[in-house]
Formats: sequence, C-alpha cells, structure tokens
Amino acid sequence: MIDGIGETGTTLLHRLPAGGKLAGLAIVATLLFFVSNPALLAAALPFGAAAMLATGRPPAVLLHQIAVPAITIALVGLADLLLVDAETALVVVLRLAALLAFAVAVTLTTTSAELADTFERALAPFDRAGLVDAPRAALTLTLAIRFVPLVGQEIAAIREAQAVRGLAANPVALAVPLIVRILVRAERVAEAIDARGFPPPRPDRSRSPTSPMGGAPSPSQMPGDLHDHP
Amino acid sequence: MTTRDIGLVALFAAVIVALGTVPALPLAFGVPITLQSLGVMLAGLILGAKRGALAPIVVIVLVGIGLPVLAGGRGGLPVYAGPTAGFLFGWVPSAFVAGWIAERFDRPENTAAVRFVGLVAAAVLGVVVVLYACGIGWLALVTGIGFSKAFFGSLAFVPGDVAKAVIAAIVTRKVGDAWALRR
Repeated sequence: MIDGIGETGTTLLHRLPAGGKLAGLAIVATLLFFVSNPALLAAALPFGAAAMLATGRPPAVLLHQIAVPAITIALVGLADLLLVDAETALVVVLRLAALLAFAVAVTLTTTSAELADTFERALAPFDRAGLVDAPRAALTLTLAIRFVPLVGQEIAAIREAQAVRGLAANPVALAVPLIVRILVRAERVAEAIDARGFPPPRPDRSRSPTSPMGGAPSPSQMPGDLHDHP
Repeated sequence: MTTRDIGLVALFAAVIVALGTVPALPLAFGVPITLQSLGVMLAGLILGAKRGALAPIVVIVLVGIGLPVLAGGRGGLPVYAGPTAGFLFGWVPSAFVAGWIAERFDRPENTAAVRFVGLVAAAVLGVVVVLYACGIGWLALVTGIGFSKAFFGSLAFVPGDVAKAVIAAIVTRKVGDAWALRR
C-alpha cells in the first residue's frame, strides 16, 4: 500500500464529514473562478491560510505541500505579467494561491480511506442507473493501490537486470519486459478473483421491476462473464 | 468488463503511477522526460480505447483521494485546482484516441511498416495533439494568457513527447510479438 497525504486527527477540519469538505471546496473553487476583483481575491487568501493552519500540521509539512504548486503558480504569474498585464497576473496568482490553500487544507485533514468511501458513495446513483458498476469500480481502485508498490518492485528488478547488461536508462528495455509481466500477471489476478467468487450476486437489482434495469440480468450475472480465460 | 479487464486496468494504472517514480531520462537533444505519459500512451496502445481510457481515470481518482501518485510525489485535490490540471484530465481522451487508432492499424493483416507507423501516429495524435489541446486549453482559460501564447510556451515539450510516442510504438510492437494483444 502507499501512504496517503491526509492523516487522521482531532481538529474541527478532521471531524467534518469528507463529503461536506469536498462540497465546500467545490463551492469555494467555483466562487473563486467567477470572482475577478483582486481585492476580493486577496481577502480570500487569509481564510485559506487560516484553513491550512487549522489542520494542526507543523509549518514544515504545510510548506512541503505548497512548495511545488507555488512554483507553478509563480511561473504562471510571471507568464501573465510578461504576456498580458499586471492586473491579470495579480488576479490569477491570488485566485490560484487561495484555491491551493483550501485544497491543501481538505487534503491534509481527510484520509484516503475516507475519500475512497466518499467516492464509492458518490458512484451509487450512477450504479443504480446502470451506468457504472460500483463494486467493480471499487475493486479496480483497491487493486490499483495494491499494485503500485508491486509494479515499482518489478521496475526496480528490471532496471537492475538491464544495468548489469549495460542497458541502463533505455526505456524500451524497461517497458517491454514490464508490460509482458503485467499482461501475464493480469491473467493470474483474474483467476484469483474468479476463484473467490467476485462479484457477489446482486438480487436487489433484478428483483425491483420499477427500476429501469428491472428484470434484465445485471452484467455481473451474465454466464461466461467470469470465465474469460484462454 | 471481465475480471481480467479489471486486473489490466488496475495494473496499467499502477504502471502509470510507478513510471512517475522512474528518474527522468535525459535525451540526446537535452529535453528531460518523465515516463508517466509513456505509461498513458502504452495503456491506450496496448489495452485499446475503452480500457486504455479507464486506466488514467483510475490514476485521476487516486490523485483525488490524496495519494501522492504523480511524478515528483504530487497528489491530492490541489492538483485538480492547479493551472496544469488539463494535462492530467487530458490523459483520458488522449489514451482513448490513441487506443482507438491503434485498434484500427495494429492488425495482423497489415504490413509491419503500416502497423508501426499507425502506432506512432496513434500515440502522437493521442498524447501530443489531444493531450496538449486539453492542457493548453485549460492553461489558457485559467491564466488568460490566450491560446496561441500558451501553445508556443508548450512547444518545448513536444520533442520529448514525440520521442516517447516512438518508444511506445516500438514497445507495443515488441510486446505484440511476445503476447497476443486483445484490444
């Protein structure tokens, strides 16, 4: 597993529900994009800074979080200053800086697990409408998180082997064996998931005749769907 | 979506993430490249349009839930709010376009030259044209710089991405020789 940026804590920001924080961030972001008065945008900045301080994380962590985005914002501001005019540069820099502060505050105070749960809940309406298969989407996400360190290890092993053969820093020599190993592994992963009977049957969907999907077998119940091996 | 497709999408999402941790390789003409967009190209070329577009969607969700999965350990909602977010969200249509073109040219009945040129064209159209259109469009919108100026500012990265497109095409053909690709 890889560690998320957000951590658990006891501050007010930590205790707010993740969905509420995301909705609040979306509203703030929308407002910031429609405001183009430098004075108003400058007024938003202290609130953003206060939100960052309210995360209770040490200043070094906060600085680390904003360092790289701040450079990007500074470059964008410089481009605006040189290519457009000073007022546009000021508006763009203030707007992006305020947005960065609020987004960092939410990210630092919400764990990846909370956000993943919120993501799953947000998918539920689409799942009911038959547009997205939420259990499969959640499984894909979980598998991807698990596979990141695994693929990292494979890359390290391949690079080491290629370096011994004098092929260091050759992207083709890295990618070809990596992708072949990935394709082989996908077969094994599929066998392991099928052996565990995923996805679980979903009687709720076929039982409700009023739903638009009513009566039709859900994709997860199609015979042959789970057996796609060569 | 079979369970094998779920595994492939998750694995290619992990490949895109893991390639971001590989140190940038300096090219002959001095443009440094990170391999993360190579992962996006490979997802499209190897998995085809639909599954190829799903892999970067998974990465974008991982970014959103606060995991440091982008090159340089970036992640979290600040990325969505940043001026270069178009280059992240643009991965989805670019992998789709690359996969769609690859599905049509990289077929056994075509000659080796047609297949290779088709794959290079798929990667260039997908990642250079579509991705840059999304990235530059967003940058121009956020900064008010204007489309043409944002466009010329991004031209410096084109040589590196064209080189990556050629690499992606070579890799796809070599992988295709070792493993029957079903897009």
